[in-house]
Amino acid sequence: MSVKDGLQDFKEFWKEFSKVKQGLVGLGLLLAFAFLGIFGPLIVPFPGASKHWRDIDYWQDNPQAAPPAWTNFFSARKGVSSSTLAAITAETEALEGGASIASFVFDYPFFYDQPPRDLILRVPGSGQVPLSVTLERPDGLRAELFREQVELSEGSDNRVSVARNCAQAAVEFVRGRDAQLADGMNADLIKPVDIFFAKLGPDILGSPVTLKGDYKIEIRALIVSPGFRVGKPSILVSGHVSGILGTDASKRDIFTGVVIGIRWALVIGILTSVISVVAGVLLGIIAAYFGGVADWLLSRLYELIYLLPVLPFLIVVSAIFKPSIWTLIVLICAFFWTGSFKTVYSMTLQIKEETFVEASRALGSGKWRIVFKHIGPILLPYSFASMALSIPAIIVYEASVSLLGLGDATIVSWGQILESALTQGAVINKLWWWVIPPGLMIALMGMSFAFLGTALDKILHPKLKTR
Amino acid sequence: MSASNAQDPAAAILEAKELKKEFVSRRGRERVRAVDGLSFSLRRGEILGLVGESGCGKTTTGRLIMRLIEPSSGSIKVEGFGAVSLGRDEDFAYRRRVQMIFQDPYASMNPHFKIKDVLEEPLLIHRIGETRAQRMEMVSQVMEKVKMTPTSDYMDRHPHMLSGGQRQRVAIARTLILRPSVIVADEIVSMIDLSTRAEILHLMKTIQADMELSFVYITHDISTARYFTDRIAVMYLGRIVEIGSQDEVIDRPLHPYTKALIAAVCEPEAGRAGIMRELMVKGEIPSASDIPPGCRFHTRCLFATEECSSLPEPELEDIGGGHLHACRRWKEIAEAMNEKRKS
Amino acid sequence: MSETTKAETAPVLCVRDLKLRYFTSKGAVRAIDGVSFDLYPGETLGLVGESGCGKTTTGLALLGMPSPPGRIVAGSIAIDGTEIVGISDRSLRRDVRWSKISMVFQGAMNSLTPVYTIRKLMAETWREHASGGQGDAAVEALMLRYLHLVGLPEKVLDRYPHELSGGMKQRVVIAMALFLEPKVVVMDEPTTALDVIVQAQILNLLKKLKRELGLSYIFITHDLATEAEIADRIMVMYAGLIVELGTGEQIFGHSEPRGSLPGSSLRELPSEPRRTSLHPYTQKLLASTPRLHKRVSELAFIPGSPPDLLAPPPGCRFAPRCSFAKAKCVAEEPPAAEIGPGHLVACWKAREDPEYERQ
Repeated sequence: MSVKDGLQDFKEFWKEFSKVKQGLVGLGLLLAFAFLGIFGPLIVPFPGASKHWRDIDYWQDNPQAAPPAWTNFFSARKGVSSSTLAAITAETEALEGGASIASFVFDYPFFYDQPPRDLILRVPGSGQVPLSVTLERPDGLRAELFREQVELSEGSDNRVSVARNCAQAAVEFVRGRDAQLADGMNADLIKPVDIFFAKLGPDILGSPVTLKGDYKIEIRALIVSPGFRVGKPSILVSGHVSGILGTDASKRDIFTGVVIGIRWALVIGILTSVISVVAGVLLGIIAAYFGGVADWLLSRLYELIYLLPVLPFLIVVSAIFKPSIWTLIVLICAFFWTGSFKTVYSMTLQIKEETFVEASRALGSGKWRIVFKHIGPILLPYSFASMALSIPAIIVYEASVSLLGLGDATIVSWGQILESALTQGAVINKLWWWVIPPGLMIALMGMSFAFLGTALDKILHPKLKTR
Repeated sequence: MSASNAQDPAAAILEAKELKKEFVSRRGRERVRAVDGLSFSLRRGEILGLVGESGCGKTTTGRLIMRLIEPSSGSIKVEGFGAVSLGRDEDFAYRRRVQMIFQDPYASMNPHFKIKDVLEEPLLIHRIGETRAQRMEMVSQVMEKVKMTPTSDYMDRHPHMLSGGQRQRVAIARTLILRPSVIVADEIVSMIDLSTRAEILHLMKTIQADMELSFVYITHDISTARYFTDRIAVMYLGRIVEIGSQDEVIDRPLHPYTKALIAAVCEPEAGRAGIMRELMVKGEIPSASDIPPGCRFHTRCLFATEECSSLPEPELEDIGGGHLHACRRWKEIAEAMNEKRKS
Repeated sequence: MSETTKAETAPVLCVRDLKLRYFTSKGAVRAIDGVSFDLYPGETLGLVGESGCGKTTTGLALLGMPSPPGRIVAGSIAIDGTEIVGISDRSLRRDVRWSKISMVFQGAMNSLTPVYTIRKLMAETWREHASGGQGDAAVEALMLRYLHLVGLPEKVLDRYPHELSGGMKQRVVIAMALFLEPKVVVMDEPTTALDVIVQAQILNLLKKLKRELGLSYIFITHDLATEAEIADRIMVMYAGLIVELGTGEQIFGHSEPRGSLPGSSLRELPSEPRRTSLHPYTQKLLASTPRLHKRVSELAFIPGSPPDLLAPPPGCRFAPRCSFAKAKCVAEEPPAAEIGPGHLVACWKAREDPEYERQ
């Protein structure tokens, strides 16, 4: 058949296909998945997530187990949303002797009922640089957050976390107003950020009430030598809610994880199901239609594999060989082809007795023509249904293997996100934003394949079309 | 391989000689002699009816002619070419010569195919027509031949959108598109409505005359055989017991089985409701795995004598005018029946 | 059946203006649209027509079991005086089905459950329909009696359906339809799937049973030849209506019953003046039936197809395919009219309607 014929066939097929709403929905979903899978990683807030999924440092700025930002809309006591502050001034003041002072002022309007979880300052640059960070509160009080000489270097993080590093400064701040209270404070147990953002008063330790208003943060750096440099610093407010889908217990942005997971889901799910179903269908047809030695061999092979328990086998093999995702895919295929094989085998046994197969033989049809033109198309709807139905199972198998620590540690999959959710107590702690998105994605992907399969069924089985 | 002379109008276009087909059940316990020594010839442009009840082997014969199964022994020749144990290419060439129309007009077509696909398939298999346009032209032509016009109305339909009669036309068209010499028609109207049957048979008669085709018309309904065939062969338990022109066989049957068949046929005439139909057989058809010795019909024949079971099976005897039958006692039986009629 | 006897005896089955609709998603299909007839004791009434005409539906309706989504919407069916339209399914099952009227369904012989012996099948049918609690021995004796009646040996009871020939299976089905001793038996294509000789045997059997057991039959088939063999009177059905009703004589015309022995010289049937008053559809059916003992150069066929019963045409339903159709036929539906003693035709031409003649 020429390309032109093929194109015309496709046009006719598309005309039929577009009449079935379900198919369009399924196809739409799949296209959305494909699009996000390809371009998603470029637009997520954490582009390096794929490489750094298990790197604690990468995620250190995020709040831990924070619900999505939009949940604020529904709660009375609004959580602080994570944000990056904007510098309103940046000056450099030259001093005598070649030194200079770089000063940056950041503005932070704060009107929440809860204090932020943390303020994280990053100062790029190099050299030995004395840094001072001062907080100017709406009530006029100034608190010195940090005054130290730091070793800056290009390429390293140069990070100061108020919650971690400014406990002593918080004590001093309180001492300045109420010495007695300050004596009772234990630097190890207090939450500095809570204090800095609270109204002064005797309750400041027990039940602090936030001080609302405009806050300013000033960073001053003394550059003593021309070799040293201080670049534009950034201040990140780490809040209670974060991102489109929140964060998990390891502070990872779940939205990013889910989007990256699309790629792997598509790859693992589609590749495995397609390969295993195509293999199973082809082998099933060959065994049933050609009979003889092929039948005997394949049926014995089927029986052997069918008897093997999948998970223990995967465990053993994963323990021996390096558990890369590709190995896993091959292994799962080796097991999954049996599912469609048997059904296709019995279906083919029936179909080959049909009169139209005999008629085609009478016309001079060769065996392969009958396999691909007569038997195959009848099995297409079943094949697609089979593919659709096996995808969730495949993803779960992969997740189960990951659960046992045998998965491929270099990838991020929905199964893995789910696995970490379950093992790190997401359900108990009611961290719904961790559990639902990956689960929903698995369901959606399975559903889109099921819709596609049903639509194809309607087209390929013309009797089922409602007229 | 030399072809017999196709110029000779009397030359046989299809010849079966001592055709036998035995089916052995899995454990070898049952040997069913479905076709048990069948010989006949079909002339060019002739319609031969193969008539008999279920189990007589007529369908198996059709399949043997079509090479859907291989005979256990015996030979089939089409246009002089042997049709037994053919190699791949020869088998291919054979199939362009001999085509089949099946009984069930729906089951014989893949329900997923459109009509144009059904009719294109033989062309694709035999690599006729280089472009789709060429092939579709041929498909159109053959659809016009079977009066499925306007062709554009039907081309894109699926079989289930057509009536039984229309589907059978498509089946006929499918056989014609390769321009065969012989067509085997297996019970082609038995699953179609009465008022359409005549239409189909009429169409086939027209096509047959027009394309000089030769037909083997397999049926259990001897009345349609009367309408459609030139010659009729009556089969019983795998053998032909009588063969001749349709006039001869139906109006002057000689073999007791043929007589019994004809006596059993109902006609649309008045006055029958209160009268029992006199049957000229007794008992049931024996199983083809246990064929009676001697004349295989003797267990059911009202006129059988001891000789009929002890003597070897009678061969087809030519009593003149191409009318052959296999009954030893035909003269005595005819006399006995004449006596009965007179009384 | 002579006419005097008819006047004396009451019909055993009375159908008046029966209407049945199939309620599909597309609307109500008027499958039976006003059918009336009587069945007299000891008679075989044939119901003939092509697929889709409503004959099987009528047969099922007579047993009060229209196949869903069909429902009887009007008319009456009285069996032996008992009206069955509108009564509950329980009463039907208890009092009417199988005890007053039974049925041999289309393809019944091939629907015998293959994993049960004949004994089990028959016993189950008995228990389904019988009211009393007869002991096993009594049921066994009954089964044997009916097997004997239909000409089957006792050992059949222990066989499975696939071990029996077509003819034997059909005899079993017939026996099962009879053993509650109904008055009426409806038979839907009982011989269509059988070989010629077996068909003749079964028809003979049916005739014998009718006489011996005093039965009346409704015999449904599409084949006029078979109908001629067994039916005393014949109804021709088309598109949900009865278009003709008459005796075998009236439908098939005068001819002496042929000797049943073959080989007699070919007899040309006499010219049939009565034929002109037949319904054109009946004529066409006759002309399209292949004949064995008559030389036919052309078999007739009817172009086109039956009307859509969702919205049948206002006039005669056969008019679109009738070669004699005139304006009146298209405009007005002809009711059944008597054109001979007991011979009803629903056709303007056949009853020589003056308006039709003028057009």
